[in-house]
Amino acid sequence: MIKIHMELKKLEITARKDIKSAKNLKDLDDIFKKYLGKKGELTLILRSLKNLPIKERKTQGKIANQIKKDLELIIQEQKHKLQASSFKIQDTGFDITVPGKKQDLGHLHPLTLVRRKVEEIFQSMGFSVVEGPEVESEWYNFDALNIPKEHPARDLWDTFYLKQKKLLLRTHTSPVQIRYMEKNQPPLRIIVPGRVFRHEATDAGHEVNFYHIEGLMIDKKGKVSVANFKAIIGEFFKRFFEKEIKIRLRPSYFPFTEPSFEIDINCVNCLGKGCSVCAQTGWVETLGAGMVHPNVLKAVGLNPKFWQGFAFGVGMDRLAIMKYKIQDIRLFYGGDLRFLQQF
Amino acid sequence: MIFSYNWLQSYFKKKLPKPEKLAEILTMRSFEIEEVKKTGKDWRLDIDILPNRAPDCFSHIGIAREISAITGLNYQDSSLILGENISRPNGKTKDFVSIEIKDKIACSRYTARVITDVKVGESPKYIKERLKVCGLQLINNVVDAANYVMLETGQPMHAFDLDKISGKKIIVRKAKKGEKIITLDNNKYDLAQDILIIADEKSPLAIAGIKGGKNAEIDNKTKTIVLEAANFEAKTIRKARQKLKLQTDASLRFEHCLDINLTEQAINRAACLIQEIAGGKITQGLVDFYVKKVLPKTIKLDVAYVEQLLGVKISKKEVIKILKSLGLNPAKSGIKLKILNIEIPTFRLDLSIQEDLIEEIGRIYGYERIKPVFPLAVLIPPKRNIDCFWQKKVKNILKETGFTEVYNYSFVNEKDISVYQSNKHKTAVIELENPLSAEQRYLRPCLISNLLKNIQKNQKLFNEIKIFELGKVFRSGIKTGVEEKRMLTGILTGDDMFYQTKGIIDSLLNKLGISNVLYNNCKELIHCSQKCAEIKINGKGIGILGEISAEILAQLDIEKKVCVFAIDFEKLQKHCSEEIMYQPISLYPSAVRDLAVLVPREIKVVDVLNKINIAGKKLVRDVALFDIYEGEEIQEGKKNFAFHIIYQAENRTLTSKEIDIIQDKIIKTLEKDPEWEVRK
Ligand SMILES: [Zn+2]
Repeated sequence: MIKIHMELKKLEITARKDIKSAKNLKDLDDIFKKYLGKKGELTLILRSLKNLPIKERKTQGKIANQIKKDLELIIQEQKHKLQASSFKIQDTGFDITVPGKKQDLGHLHPLTLVRRKVEEIFQSMGFSVVEGPEVESEWYNFDALNIPKEHPARDLWDTFYLKQKKLLLRTHTSPVQIRYMEKNQPPLRIIVPGRVFRHEATDAGHEVNFYHIEGLMIDKKGKVSVANFKAIIGEFFKRFFEKEIKIRLRPSYFPFTEPSFEIDINCVNCLGKGCSVCAQTGWVETLGAGMVHPNVLKAVGLNPKFWQGFAFGVGMDRLAIMKYKIQDIRLFYGGDLRFLQQF
Repeated sequence: MIFSYNWLQSYFKKKLPKPEKLAEILTMRSFEIEEVKKTGKDWRLDIDILPNRAPDCFSHIGIAREISAITGLNYQDSSLILGENISRPNGKTKDFVSIEIKDKIACSRYTARVITDVKVGESPKYIKERLKVCGLQLINNVVDAANYVMLETGQPMHAFDLDKISGKKIIVRKAKKGEKIITLDNNKYDLAQDILIIADEKSPLAIAGIKGGKNAEIDNKTKTIVLEAANFEAKTIRKARQKLKLQTDASLRFEHCLDINLTEQAINRAACLIQEIAGGKITQGLVDFYVKKVLPKTIKLDVAYVEQLLGVKISKKEVIKILKSLGLNPAKSGIKLKILNIEIPTFRLDLSIQEDLIEEIGRIYGYERIKPVFPLAVLIPPKRNIDCFWQKKVKNILKETGFTEVYNYSFVNEKDISVYQSNKHKTAVIELENPLSAEQRYLRPCLISNLLKNIQKNQKLFNEIKIFELGKVFRSGIKTGVEEKRMLTGILTGDDMFYQTKGIIDSLLNKLGISNVLYNNCKELIHCSQKCAEIKINGKGIGILGEISAEILAQLDIEKKVCVFAIDFEKLQKHCSEEIMYQPISLYPSAVRDLAVLVPREIKVVDVLNKINIAGKKLVRDVALFDIYEGEEIQEGKKNFAFHIIYQAENRTLTSKEIDIIQDKIIKTLEKDPEWEVRK
């Protein structure tokens, strides 16, 4: 009885030593066979136990089985170790500098990206996104916006006219202000992104079609002021460029707002120090705005005695140009994939 | 418009801020200064006068008034001279010249003065210098003086040689048919009948408000001159200027309207200046046609509204101070009330409602002094724009499929139209009245043509191109004149892209929650007749897909094969759904069996699929086509389809015996047709 016990102990010690010293999988396999195979040493001992009295058999069996389990476990561990090290050896020729396999991902247009960002910021401030037609009537594009016929102010907008029925291509998305106010009661807050058209020669800064975002907020008299506009627009620029941006308001003139102003922002390129982008002034003109002219409110049947608000218009192309430091607006409409696939 | 810094300085006793500093102040309070440029001892200021301020600020006096209001420095309007006081009467003006106004709407005021015994010669140095800085040509002392006064006061003036005026009579009338004029710069103009002219009894002397003529030109021998300061209707001048394509310093000012009361001040100033620099005697009195005298108006200003609109508290005292600095005076009587009556001088044509006054207060006070404050508004969540939502979703899906989004011009040319349009469609194309170039003469009726140009441009640089655009197209409509709708169009290059394109459409529609998609044969002009399909949802056509024909590709120098899809986005959107219904995953394993069937060439996959599905019933979960083969090793006129059939039950594990039975059933069904042969 003691003999068996001793034998088991001894066997376990030598087996463990053998396993640990196995150099490769083949050795390990031989060791497995030697101890745990059909005719393995441990197997034979286990088999011989059946000749012992029942009580003895139980205690010794328990010990022998435990040893068997332990050995199996460390053989498994040793096997993993050997496998891992064999991988290492095989992989000496592995070259991480080989270029990755290119995946064909698509690209959204930079103006789509800018539009999404602008929409997201204004939506978070309670503005709804509204769209309107690109072909407009003179009424919506001009008259309702307090730009009468034969008025020199109309020259501010170089306009494409259609051969049909006194229609034109909208020169701004402001007509949608009118369309929206005709159908919705204030208080209201909207932004209107969309394509607009100008009849002018193209160059790095001008295109025949480009994108505008118009904003409009109307509320009860005394509830929405120039000070409120400054806060909203300041917050917009801060979030759009993801940094503190200084803004300044300068006097301007638009027939549909009174007072009117131009909004300059600190040049994003030089942060106001002065560079070629901002003609050394440190400021870039980005936005036209003002308090909605009473005549515009009247044109949609709102009484200026009870309602007031602000409106603004910003060129999306210009925002994109500043954000991505693009030199030429024409790149947006040229369909050059070398440009578009950078976004 | 160009202004002279030294000239502006001449109205002030105290020193003005340095030119750059002055430019900055004006930019922030009045008008943007485009450029400050040193010229000799002077500086040119290029000031971008806002169009509504042209009547009072297309003049050095006007800018001096602005500077005074902003800086608080006093200015002296040296043009305010009473002509009578200095003149040495030499007879009455009306005895020298008479005027007749035939069109009292186009010419609401005409003021004339006569100076005798002038000596035409060179202008003095200061006048020459100032005119030169402002970019005007020097002519002679008389003409220079008239121009000088225009730049000073904003009132365009003209000088005629009285001795050259036939009948000593000035007539203001519309041109007669066939009348012509040779202008001072020796250009000949045919005068249309609605152009206003200044004439004598015989012929035109000047194009009213635009340019003088040769007939009564001032020359070295001129002794007696007639000065004109008039007020012409803006609309009339604007039309004439456009018609003649002739813009001048005078027309620019008239087009923007002028203070009708300015003629008198300007003509007196000019007469004195001419007398000063060219000698001569001013005759007594004005000849003045002025029917309806315009008086200053009054605007009521609610002081509380100033704060409501600007969002900053400005005391009543400061409000009054600002207005006064601009020459806008509150009536004394009501000064203690909440509503002020502000008297508006006639030169401020831009001011008509109290918001106009609040703008004046705001800008002089300084917009930078208004602190930003977030509005206290009712919390109304923004409305969801479902249109924009689907646009965004569609763009995202295509991007995930590897497409690059492009934005093309909304315009196309004649050739584009003829390539893509049948004659029937051509009439529906929208043409521009004033295209910028022949390249952009029409509004795009589809997105394909410009996308193909993108392919042409990029084909050398990229092996495979996948691009799309989501944008508006235009056609003439019966009801609205123009029918405008959004199209989704994509293009892929490569051989045999039809099925890949179809797969993309399938995934796109699937992601948009659309099932019940069907593809029908269709013959669109731009496609190869065979490889083209109409896409239908619930039986309604929403678009097409197909290969572009070889002829069109050749015309456009496109070397690759191109497959296109064009979907009417407005129609597509109606079928989109955000709902996703979860299908329970079967707990029991599935089994795959392959099946290859040899069929006649004209048989379509859908025919085989239908038979398999009908025979296999519910236990066939999916059938996937993995190969189509025709060619060698196969009987002519036949082709081979190979499918994976996936069997699965919802409530049990299928035994292989069960599967064998169904598979046999399917094979038998397929082989009912003697032309079909399942390959074992
Ligand atoms: Zn800069």
